[in-house]
Order: sequence, then structure tokens, then C-alpha cells
Amino acid sequence: MDSDSKNKSVISLHNVTAGYDRRPFIEDINFEVREGDFYGIIGPNGGGKSTLLKVILGLIIPMSGEVRIMGLSPEEGRRYIGYLPQYTHYDRDYPISVWDVALMGRRSKRGISPWYTAEDRDATEEALESVNMLDLRERNIGKLSGGQRQRAYIARALASKPRLLLLDEPTASVDPEGQECIFNLFSKLNKEMTIVMVSHDVGMITSHVSKLACINRNIVTHDEPIITQEMLEKGYSCPMDLIAHGDVPHRILRNH
Amino acid sequence: MNGREKTIAAIAIVTILFIISFVYLNDYYSFINRMFLAGILASLVCGVVGTYVVVRRVVFMSDAIAHSTFGGVGMAFMLQSTLGWLWFDPMLGAAIFAIGAAAILSMRWTRLSVREDSVIGVLWVIGMALGVLFYSMVDPRKVSLISPESILFGSILLISEETLWMMLAILVAIYVVVFFLFRDLQILTFDEEHARISGLNVPITNFILLTLIAFTIVALIQLVGAILAIAMLTIPAAIAGTFNDDLKSMMLSAVTISLILTASGSLLSIALDTPPGATIVILMGLAFIIVIFARFLSHNKKMQTSLES
Repeated sequence: MDSDSKNKSVISLHNVTAGYDRRPFIEDINFEVREGDFYGIIGPNGGGKSTLLKVILGLIIPMSGEVRIMGLSPEEGRRYIGYLPQYTHYDRDYPISVWDVALMGRRSKRGISPWYTAEDRDATEEALESVNMLDLRERNIGKLSGGQRQRAYIARALASKPRLLLLDEPTASVDPEGQECIFNLFSKLNKEMTIVMVSHDVGMITSHVSKLACINRNIVTHDEPIITQEMLEKGYSCPMDLIAHGDVPHRILRNH
Repeated sequence: MNGREKTIAAIAIVTILFIISFVYLNDYYSFINRMFLAGILASLVCGVVGTYVVVRRVVFMSDAIAHSTFGGVGMAFMLQSTLGWLWFDPMLGAAIFAIGAAAILSMRWTRLSVREDSVIGVLWVIGMALGVLFYSMVDPRKVSLISPESILFGSILLISEETLWMMLAILVAIYVVVFFLFRDLQILTFDEEHARISGLNVPITNFILLTLIAFTIVALIQLVGAILAIAMLTIPAAIAGTFNDDLKSMMLSAVTISLILTASGSLLSIALDTPPGATIVILMGLAFIIVIFARFLSHNKKMQTSLES
């Protein structure tokens, strides 16, 4: 038994097949995330990364298989999840301040009461502070840089005090310095919570995550964050362009 | 409220007081006074609801609701004429059709591989066609018929004291709903997926929003008509959207813009002896074009200075 098994299961997918219009995008997925993990998920476009996240969030009901979040169904368990959607998800013209966006993260805690409480405001303030965005709280969300905007949405995910952070391409719209800054933030947050991150940026992801999975309809998981020659050959069943920095040479993988 | 919002609110209040004192100081016919009062009520409603319409980009959905009300008005007259149900008010018919259209539009048609804008188009024409059909079934000797032109393009002669009370009731109801659901409507219109994940009942909240739009249109029919209602719902909010970074201040600005343009349009229609509904809408359209043009110029200027530096 490896040491990870002692930790509680945060996400558990068992033989999950899911997709849209009865067409499966991901098939027979078995995937286990344990408390304290910093899991990176990579894979080609259309490989089912977003589908996997939507299944975890309970936005897509799987055709078969079982999903448990903290031992609960996704509808129940997702209140422990802080979710960061892709940056393309947002309407940049929408008139809303950083503060109001972050405050939205408290909605799941609010029940049916129409207003937010002092506790909600404190948690929001704390979340904005932790991503260094409190000074810009009055700013309109559309007028921020890519990195600032992403940090505002991370604050929204953190405002609910989640046990698990689910991140969909968190650095896609962020310049290189901003990316490093955001990844350092995630490493810091990982001391308190489990993180699952979907990304196409293999180079960046491998230098920060503790575990790695590759998804292309099926999933291949690794308990090591380093991409080695051997792992590339054995592990990735996905055809993908891989351009990484450091030890890994530029290479294109063949279709296994 | 920050300083800017206070200024805008002050302008709105001054405008309302000005219109009311103008109404009482001038010895106009009472129907003209009622037109000005209806303009105030309509602006207070459509500035708020129109802001949601604009940020959620449901202008054409709202237009389908507006057009469908013609069928409801026709149905009311048909029932009055054929069944003798004289209590069946045309505005009741309009409200029934508007809420029906809102319910149909809040269904998830994409699940059945039906595109949303197709549903909008179909609803639009069916409502209009039903109106024409129902009107043809009415015996004009039996009912006090309102002409299709008046319903579609508005007529100040339609604005009775009861109309003003109805508009006030709709205003109060909409403000109460928005007061309680402001945050949820904000989440829904900004990020529907987040709304679902947060446990908000998206289909019901969406239906509530469309119902607010439906009632707003019913409130606007007698002033500007079913077809022109969409102008009052959209244009002030669209203008407000160009210079506001916050939903509440956008609503406040939209109400103020609408108050000023509606009052000026009403005055202009008296001075020029033109139909008030059309005059108000044309004035709003002109204001919109001027705002776009001004933004185009300032945008160009910015581009130029950034190129020069």
C-alpha cells in the first residue's frame, strides 16, 4: 500500500462513461483524487478534459459508472468544490466589479436567503486578500489584465472555503510572469486543499503538480509529476504536440 | 451609493419632480397629463428590467414576448364579442400571452435539437397571426374595440386612470421581485453555469426573469405599443451600458435616461402634433446613434494618441 491510500478520497470515478447526445466523450474512466493531491490533467483538445470536469461538478450525468465527491453524489458534494471555468466562459462587457464576482462564490452557502451576511463578506474579503486582489475590489472585471481577472475568479472559487479546487485551463489567458505567479499561488493553496487542474500547458503543469493524468477518451494516470522519456512512451495513449522546457525535448507523439 | 450614482439619482428625482410639476402647472387635457405620468412609471420599470435584457442579450426574446401580446389582445376582444365576456380586459389577454410566451421561451429547446432563435421567430409570428385571426372574429358593434394600430404602436387615448394604476401595480411588483432576487438574477445573467453549481434553481429564476420582461411589456403597451415597447426596454439600458461598470448604476442611469427621453419625446409630440409613442422611440433611437457616434470618435482619438506616442 502506498502512502497516498491513507488519505481520504476526494474525487472517485468508477467506470464512468459520459458525453453529450448519447455520444460518449470519455469512456470507462477510473480516476481517484486523494486529499492533498495537486493533480494535473492534460490531453488534446476534444479529449474530454472539460467533460470530465463537468461530470465531477454534476453538470453532466454519466451514462454509466459512479462518481463520488467526498463520498457524496456530485450534486451534494460540489458544495465542497471551488471551480474556476475557462476564461472564454465570461462576458467581458458585463457590468460587474471584482468584489461582486468574488461574492458570488458564497451563493452555495447562502441557501434561499436573498442577501449575503457579514460572514459571507468576511470570507470574500479573505479570498480576495489571499489572491492579492483586495485593492482592486471596486474595479470592473472586464478592465483587468488576464492575470488579474483570473485571480479574481480564483477568489470567487476560494470564497466558499472549498476542500477541493477544480481549475480549467487557469493560465490560458495569462502572460508568462502572471502564470508563474498563479502557479505559486496554487502551490501555496495546495497546503490547505486538494487541487485538480486541467491544462494543455504541459511544461508549466509538470513543474508544479504532484500527480499527472492524461485524458483522451480514456485516462492514464501517473503518480509522478515528471515527464520522462519512458512515461511518454508508455503512459500517454494520446496523440499530442508536446513542447516542454527543461529536460524534455520538443517532440510530437505518435498515436499509440 | 458612490458620488456618481448619487448625482444620477438626483437627476432622476429632479426630472420626475419637473414632469409632475409641469403636468400640474399646465392646463392640458387630462389624457396628456396621464401620458406624462405613464412615461414616469414606464421609465422606472424599463430601466431596471431593460438592464437585465441588455446584459443577458435577450432583446429578441423580449421582442417575441412583445409581439405575442397582440394575440392576447385579439383573444380578449374575440371572447368579449363571441362569449359576451366583457370583463375580459385586453390587457389581461396580453398578460396571459406574454407569460405563456415567457414560459415557452424558458424551456430548454436545445435539448430537442431545436435552436432557440427558431423558437423566438415562431412564437413571434404565431402571436401576430393569432391576433389578426381573432380580430377578424370580432363583431365591432358588440365591443368597444381598440384598433390593431393602437395596440401595436400605442395610443395616448388608451391611457386611462386604470392604466396608470395597473402600471403602478406592475412597477411595485417588479421592484419587490428585483429587490429580493437582485443577487440571484445577477449570478444567472453573468454566469449561468456558476448559478447551477451554486444550487440556484436556474429554470425557475430564468422564468422569473422572462416574466418580469413580460409584465414590463404589458405595462408599456398602452404608452408606446407592443412593437415599440422593445425600444423603451432596450435603448435606455443599452445607452447606460456604454458608461457603467456596475449593474445597479446601469439600472439607475437607464431609468434616468429613459425619464428624460420619454418626457422630451412627449413634449415634442405635443409641440409637433406627432404620435407620442413613435416620437419617443425616434428620440431614443437618435440618442443611441449619437452615443455610438461619440464613442466612435473618442475611440478613434484614443487610437490616434496611442499610435502617436
